[in-house]
Amino acid sequence: MTAPQPVPAPNPLLSIRDLRTVFPTGAGVARAVDGLTLGVEPGETLGIVGESGSGKSVTALSILRLIRPPGRIEAGSSITFGGTDLATCDAESLRAIRGRRIGMVFQEPMTALNPVFTVGSQIAEVVRVHERTTRQAAWGRAVAMLEAVRIPASAERAHQYPHELSGGTRQRVMLAMALVMHPALLIADEPTTALDVTVQAQILALLAELQQSLGMAVLLITHDLAIIAAVASRVVVMYGGQAVEEAPVTELFAAAHHPYTEGLLRAVPRPRLPNSPAARLAEIPGSVPPATAWPAGCRFHDRCAFAWDRCRHEMPPLYAISATHASRCHLAAEPARRTAPAPTAGTPS
Amino acid sequence: MTAPAMAPPPGGSVGTGPMRPSGDIAMLGWSLDAGPWPAIWRRFRRNRGAMAGLVVIVAIAAVSLGAPLIAPYPPNAILDMVALKSQAPSLAHPFGTDPASRDVLSRVLFGGRVSLAIAVLAMLTATTVGTMYGAISGYTGGTLDSVLMRITDACLSIPRILLLLTICALWGRASLGSLVLILGLTSWFGVSRLVRGEIMGIRTREWVMAARALGATDARILFRHLLPNIASPIIVATALGIGNVVLLEAGLSFLGVGVQPPFASWGNIMQDGADQVRALWWLSVFPGLAIVSAVIAINAVGDGLREAADPRQ
Amino acid sequence: MDASERPLVSVRDLHVRFPLSRGMFGATRGWVRAVDGVSFTVPRGETLALVGESGCGKTTAARALLRLIPATSGTVSFDGTDVLALRPEPLRRLRRRMQLVFQDPYSSLNPRRTVGDAIREGLLVHQLAAGSEADDRVRQALGEVGLRPEFALRYPYELSGGQRQRVGIARALAVGPEFVVCDEPVSALDVSVQAQIINLLQDLQRDHALTYLYIAHDLAIVAHVATRVAVMYFGRIVELGPAAAVFQHPLMPYTRALLAAVLSPDPAARRSHAVLPGESPSPATPMAGCPFHPRCPDPRKDAACTVTVPPLEEKSPGHFAACIKEPVVETTLPFGP
Repeated sequence: MTAPQPVPAPNPLLSIRDLRTVFPTGAGVARAVDGLTLGVEPGETLGIVGESGSGKSVTALSILRLIRPPGRIEAGSSITFGGTDLATCDAESLRAIRGRRIGMVFQEPMTALNPVFTVGSQIAEVVRVHERTTRQAAWGRAVAMLEAVRIPASAERAHQYPHELSGGTRQRVMLAMALVMHPALLIADEPTTALDVTVQAQILALLAELQQSLGMAVLLITHDLAIIAAVASRVVVMYGGQAVEEAPVTELFAAAHHPYTEGLLRAVPRPRLPNSPAARLAEIPGSVPPATAWPAGCRFHDRCAFAWDRCRHEMPPLYAISATHASRCHLAAEPARRTAPAPTAGTPS
Repeated sequence: MTAPAMAPPPGGSVGTGPMRPSGDIAMLGWSLDAGPWPAIWRRFRRNRGAMAGLVVIVAIAAVSLGAPLIAPYPPNAILDMVALKSQAPSLAHPFGTDPASRDVLSRVLFGGRVSLAIAVLAMLTATTVGTMYGAISGYTGGTLDSVLMRITDACLSIPRILLLLTICALWGRASLGSLVLILGLTSWFGVSRLVRGEIMGIRTREWVMAARALGATDARILFRHLLPNIASPIIVATALGIGNVVLLEAGLSFLGVGVQPPFASWGNIMQDGADQVRALWWLSVFPGLAIVSAVIAINAVGDGLREAADPRQ
Repeated sequence: MDASERPLVSVRDLHVRFPLSRGMFGATRGWVRAVDGVSFTVPRGETLALVGESGCGKTTAARALLRLIPATSGTVSFDGTDVLALRPEPLRRLRRRMQLVFQDPYSSLNPRRTVGDAIREGLLVHQLAAGSEADDRVRQALGEVGLRPEFALRYPYELSGGQRQRVGIARALAVGPEFVVCDEPVSALDVSVQAQIINLLQDLQRDHALTYLYIAHDLAIVAHVATRVAVMYFGRIVELGPAAAVFQHPLMPYTRALLAAVLSPDPAARRSHAVLPGESPSPATPMAGCPFHPRCPDPRKDAACTVTVPPLEEKSPGHFAACIKEPVVETTLPFGP
């Protein structure tokens, strides 16, 4: 238990090792992702949950090497997908994987679709980029895919432009575009954040259904623990550019180990009867530090109710809590400390 | 990270996060306490062309202001109508003399004061009028805005030099003050369009609604909230406008309807040699060089300011 | 009616319409009924939550009641004063008593003015304090929202989202209002910061006897803050009642669907419930009958629903719904006991 050891991923489809993505800024170098290791297994839904500034979206962009200069992935990072290291491979191999083996959907479907082309032609374009096929065949695939994402009258809707569609339909089109090549992995970055709750429920249900029928793995990135609870099979919690906890979803929600995860879970307003007692929500004091100035030691220590000297000086490794559960917290090594102070909201000294 | 952020006082306050700008804002470089200007100056300083322009324009302004100390002769001193008439440049008279035997170097130095002062004052007039007009138009919106903007469109569609020639001809011999007014009151159309557009762009921001919700008057919203937020484009437009007015004034004076004797200006020095440009080339070349270098320098400074104020462009 | 039992805010039949125009000279092609006949009251000390999905008119209704945008018709009474009929100067003075906290803490602070300037603004325009007294009031307001006094000298870009939202709250509270419209005050914030701001708003309500109109789409948060709930759809209130009644026994199929769509942060409670089809119609869509009928899952839906605009009726004491069918009372998960 005391020996630090990362949890091994048995048979990963995607394997990220020691990913470091940095952005030079006026205030110094922002280390947005700083030593992330994780694996996605075939067919599973891995949820990455974190607040803004945790590095979760930069992770998604790094996987497909969509980081814009001057941002860059540091040497020593590896992102292995089907035998190819996406962090270092040439542009040609990368292009063969983007859109064909790995699909991606973003938070804001309006900005990710080209306003001057019909949605059908944008989906058909993806097919023609990756396969030698006729225009008609590509169009047919596009229409079939629009039907697969449950857009009614898909043959007619394929002729529409993005601005003629509602937000939910646009996100369905984004899904169709990402999935038309039947990728082995779908990266979904906050896919429902911009949508209404009833539409969010539709999209999440559709995502689960498509995952079943296409047999793909999903890397779902979100700030919303409720979405993680609803769809993920395994969860990585990110904070300060690192994974701070990793566990199967039921275990994470039932027995979170890292104080940050515990705090997040307590801070989420749970559906409850109005006006029942204990209406006060648990807070995590302070806010996420900027990526240009991560605190020394554990990056969560200045917001943590348990922090002691060791936390301020020594960055905790990912301790194995069980075969499938890991936590980047020294409490794994010194569990007796957990009982010492009461984990209440308040300013740490 | 700042020291107070590390050590919160005993009051138990919650804002313990380090006070640094968040990522994308920091990347734009807006990261000093005194508003955007220090950051603009930092970027401006990195722009070599703009800095060269600034050095040139400061030098021209300094020698013009210092003309009484630097100039070898008074600008209108008739030295010797017989011996020193229309002399080519020499050691005694580096820029030569004009047909009235006046020292051209002295006239160019004194003329710079007039030309630059007219340009600056005229452009300040134009900026003031244009800002008020554009701000009222953009802030009020609706029918008033449509009417006001159609008026500026109409004014913009008249060729400037024709408009100016007509006004100057009707005005007769314009004094320096009237010239400032004439140039200023025909130079604000562009500024008003710019200000109106900028105001329209920010008047629906939530912080404007917040000020209204607090009970701020329209005047307060306009002067305390909206105009300070568009100060940089206005200043850039003013800087570029000054260069333009230098040219216009030179043109008018060259045509004889601008700055009138006894005052020297770069334009009317050239006019003194206008009928014999080939023979009296120094009367065109030296004030011409002054005009060209001043205008290029002013535009370089204006462009540099624009780039520094909006690093995304 | 005695002033003490009269509701602080009372809105009757509020309409807000925007012209749909095209071309340079703006020929009106039609009207968008953003708010279409909304009535509610907010008793002193209570929190009425105005709930609905994007485009339902909740923010527009709140801004019209504060007269930040013009209402087309209707009346708004604030402590007996007819707000929509006020002349500009009395309206400006009334603004001290009714304030607004915005959704987006990034766009609601003037980037060129310091935190202190923002909070001092209201004090100056209402001549509540000046000079060093105003400085004291700014410090006090910062303290109440949990910020140290030196924040007064900072610019908005130097603050985190949560800190900005605290400044927005301090700015609203510095003038000593009685009524505060909170327009989705936490939906742009991170989870850990959301909890801080919700707790702060509740503390302030208790300490200053504030009356809130709380606009939100997140029902899990509404359940924490509201005493009464009004559900809006297509510019109208479709259900209105005490929070406990609306959450426990929703009368409208739409309210039930909204509640069912709330995800529980508990993987053990994963449900495969019927997903409500379709999306909220844009207020520019022409619609006859009940605006919800194209999406309504109620099996009793019939031709009458496509013709009759259902009025908002009291179905049980204090609990109103706009449905022409008799309400089915059922307890809804996940908000059950």
